[in-house]
Amino acid sequence: MAEQKNLSVVEKIKTASDGLRGTLKESLQDELTGAVREQDHALIKFHGMYEQDDRDLREERALKKLDKLYSFMIRLRIPGGLITPQQWIAAHHIAGNYSTGVIKITTRQTIQLHGILKRDIKPTLKDFNAVTLDSIAACGDVNRNVICSSHPSQSPLHKQIHDYAGKLSEALLPKTRAFYEIWLDEEVLADKKEEIDPLYQDHYLPRKFKIGIAIPPNNDVDVFGNDLGLIAIIENESLLGFNLAIGGGLSSTHGNPSTYPRLATVIGFVPANDKLMKAVYEVLTIQRDFGNRSDRKQARLKYTIDNMGVDVFKTELERRCGFPLGKAMPYQFTERKDYYGWRQSSSGKWHYTIFVENGRVVDDENLALKTALLKVAETGLAQFRFTPNQNLILSDIDELDKNEIEGILNQFGIIEHTDNSSLMRKNSIACVAFNTCPLALAEAQRYLPTLITKIEPLLKKHSLESEEISLRMTGCPNGCGRSPLAEIGFIGTAYGRYNLYLGGDRLGERLNQKFRDNLDEQEILTTLDEVFADYSLNRSSGETLGDFAWRKYFEQQ
Amino acid sequence: MLPDPKMKIVQDLVANLSKEEIIWLNGYLSGVASLDRKQESTAANVRKITIAYGTETGNSKKLATSFAARAKKNGIQSKLVSLDQYRLSDLSKEEWFFTIISTQGEGEPPATAKKFYDHLHQENVSLSSVRYGVLALGDTAYPLFCKAGEDVDAQLQRLGAIRVMPLHKLDTDYEVEAENWITSLLDSFNTSAPAAPQVVQTSNTKTKQHYKGKILTTINLNGSGSSKETYHIEIAANGVQYEPGDALGLIPMNSKNVVDKIINLAGADENSPVSYKNTETPLGELLRSRLSVIHLSERVVKKYSEIVQQDIPPTRMDLIDLLRIYPISQPSQFLPIVEALDPITPRLYSIASSPLAHQDEVHLTVAKNTFLLDEQKRNGLCSYYLSQLKEGDDFDFYIHKNQLFKMAPQDKDIIMIGPGTGIAPFRSFVAQRDAEGAEGRSWLFFGDQHFTTDFLYQAEWQNWLQVGALTRMNVAFSRDQDQKLYVQHKLLQHAGELFEWIEGGAYVYICGTKDPMSVDVENTLLQIITEYKQLDESQAMNYLFDMKENGRLLKDVY
Repeated sequence: MAEQKNLSVVEKIKTASDGLRGTLKESLQDELTGAVREQDHALIKFHGMYEQDDRDLREERALKKLDKLYSFMIRLRIPGGLITPQQWIAAHHIAGNYSTGVIKITTRQTIQLHGILKRDIKPTLKDFNAVTLDSIAACGDVNRNVICSSHPSQSPLHKQIHDYAGKLSEALLPKTRAFYEIWLDEEVLADKKEEIDPLYQDHYLPRKFKIGIAIPPNNDVDVFGNDLGLIAIIENESLLGFNLAIGGGLSSTHGNPSTYPRLATVIGFVPANDKLMKAVYEVLTIQRDFGNRSDRKQARLKYTIDNMGVDVFKTELERRCGFPLGKAMPYQFTERKDYYGWRQSSSGKWHYTIFVENGRVVDDENLALKTALLKVAETGLAQFRFTPNQNLILSDIDELDKNEIEGILNQFGIIEHTDNSSLMRKNSIACVAFNTCPLALAEAQRYLPTLITKIEPLLKKHSLESEEISLRMTGCPNGCGRSPLAEIGFIGTAYGRYNLYLGGDRLGERLNQKFRDNLDEQEILTTLDEVFADYSLNRSSGETLGDFAWRKYFEQQ
Repeated sequence: MLPDPKMKIVQDLVANLSKEEIIWLNGYLSGVASLDRKQESTAANVRKITIAYGTETGNSKKLATSFAARAKKNGIQSKLVSLDQYRLSDLSKEEWFFTIISTQGEGEPPATAKKFYDHLHQENVSLSSVRYGVLALGDTAYPLFCKAGEDVDAQLQRLGAIRVMPLHKLDTDYEVEAENWITSLLDSFNTSAPAAPQVVQTSNTKTKQHYKGKILTTINLNGSGSSKETYHIEIAANGVQYEPGDALGLIPMNSKNVVDKIINLAGADENSPVSYKNTETPLGELLRSRLSVIHLSERVVKKYSEIVQQDIPPTRMDLIDLLRIYPISQPSQFLPIVEALDPITPRLYSIASSPLAHQDEVHLTVAKNTFLLDEQKRNGLCSYYLSQLKEGDDFDFYIHKNQLFKMAPQDKDIIMIGPGTGIAPFRSFVAQRDAEGAEGRSWLFFGDQHFTTDFLYQAEWQNWLQVGALTRMNVAFSRDQDQKLYVQHKLLQHAGELFEWIEGGAYVYICGTKDPMSVDVENTLLQIITEYKQLDESQAMNYLFDMKENGRLLKDVY
């Protein structure tokens, strides 16, 4: 717990923020700008928001002597990605009233709305609060939304395991009432004892912190991409506990070799009870105390662990827990996917997984997805579950109600859309990128659909269209689209240019490697054409593209 | 013709006169020659006169005040009164009544003179004991130059009043001639010289500063998605001289497309010379840059119907539509139609730049005016013309001084209320104060439809706030919430502090539309003063009136 010199600016802002309040109230009252004050920029993230601006309009607005068109992205905290149909209806209307109208399902099993003007933040959050949804800690240097394998049919124990997402999320929330005071006009407490926060204290974590819970054999959550991965260990139809995997993280920075994606390391087993809660809590306290607070690019848990050494970290964890970790239990992942279409769980309930391209729920000229989902929600017969692959499961439908839901889905062409989309499209992920993400170097969700349309004929040409190849695109190297864990990964380098990565495995247990730099679209298509040809001709039986590419292009080197 | 001694007097006199004075004398003498029987020589023992002014921009008031001061110096007591404060029943009791009155765009009197003007047009008023003189202010760039003054002069005479000074019509460069008029009037009181020929024409020498500029840039300030188009236009003009608060005058040109169609419909030749104001001008050029062809007045439409001998309902129409719907039967009818057209009237725009901060440049803030006429979307001529200007285009204009809208001294606080394009002069003010490093505080109120797209000059205000050239700013965007929100609501929201500023001597400026904006704003100020100064309504009105009198409540409204 060395004294840290040269604290980063954000560290100073956090400490001085009076429980994440900063000057947010004053910022809201400033009529002359759509932005919040500079120091509040970092704080508002802890309340689940990013300040963004329409990058497409920057140049035009500067010329017109207008300030940037600032707006806010609000991301909800939905542990395990499960909401009620009533909550979906509320989200539908809130999106229509205050945002671009698009409901974006994220890779962290939640939804976010874009384009919310400063004056509309409070109404948005009040309306969400009315259906008991909030955005606390959805962003910021805290534990973020906890994700969990999404499909109820994965195990009879799904609910029991899934409940840990909510429990962990609650346990790791910051204690400050700032969210309620600022956005919901809750009375300011004179006595702030309630706010004493033994976990986050006054400086929170050095960086964001992500927890994912996987239920083998499906690694749909990409458990090794999380700061803390929990792998459920089930024996004889009962939950024994979880293997702990620590130090995952997919972000890096172009041209900064001290940054890198890292898979989480499995360090042991903890039983499914208070001990699990304790162990998770103490992983956070170690990161709080040992994480780098001067360089935010070295602040994620993965660097803390690599600096300390896994063994030292584990020893410290056991010391803080007061009990030793068990030996990691055997587990096996055999797939990493969403189960599209209808599926029944052992309880007899039905679930329909809808393919939502890039997680964007919106009505467009081809598909009235948003309206269809509203109709479904209005029946009150299905729960809404978001998957870590940006799709949506209409879940927990009674056998008797299945026809009614199917009728709506057919009426709006949702089933046809889900069935007829290509496997590659259904196994793809793109982050938001332009026009709102300030980090984006290149397009992602606005571009990937058209790129896939151009890749599909290549797959057909090489008879690969029935392969479940995973393809992911992010507009920058920060990893929101989990590109480093894809068989074909794209990371934007400049507008219209991407680095191409190959060799990730299909299950999310091996990172991909950079294959080509700075490709434009034509070069992407030419390169993939060659790779597909090679793969189609020279693969061994049952070999995935990721494994083939690894063997062929990287392993011998 | 004259015997030598008289000739010598004339020659001596002329030798000491300026060119302008000689021209004036010329008019004066011709007036004397056509002396009306009713006119009498002015009596020598004038003790008391009334000087009533009808003003819009403050010029008439300024002259009237100077007139009164000079009368006093000559031992003549004067009652100085604005025409809107003038008790009309006093008129028939007046012995010496002089009025200085300006003319507005379409030949109307200023709003402050409307009641007086209407009173004169009644039948049952007898003014036979009143001796009078009228000094008319106007702008030769308008077709009905000094029309209000002419009307007042004619009506006073019709009602039996005795003209003791000829009507004098003054252009925008009125100062010297006006002083001459006052001098000769005051002299006539002492010398018993005969006076009052019917009219004295103004000199045609134009000292009004005209400039040939070039368009530097035009930007639509409204962001994409706005229902408005507001153009920021920068004009380069070397040596241009103006002060913050002044306006730019220009004569807009008709669209070439429309003029070509008119000429085509008329079967005329654009190059054929037409005699206009004593010069031969090619028809095309005349129609493009001199004569009004859109939204013709009912008078012109009536003339058109007489020429083409067709029944046309009395309404305003475009020439192109007249030619389409009521075509001329032979090409020779077109020339009289052209001759019936009114000249294009100049338009004035408050200047949005500062002579200190934007040297050799003039900036404008122009809202493109679109309106529906017979369910068709139409563009206002001038704003459309301005919005179509391109970088490098030639741009002729003149500077129109606005005496009533001058910057407060640097150390005074200023409160500026300017929604929409009313923001223009305040950009000038704040840029000027920034350049001067003025010490006084400044507080700006702005409003428009939408925050995201219609916040005119948003980035500049943010910068000026940061550097302190602007102390505070509040904005009201009417359509961003269910309830309409306007600048006056923002005034109320900050009433306490606003009142402190006003009590502390702040100058208050209002610019923008007259009705309802400036009316609402003034009512709100009244409300604030009533409440915070704890006055009753009439006391509060006096408070505001005093502010106006002391030049601390200034308006540039339209």
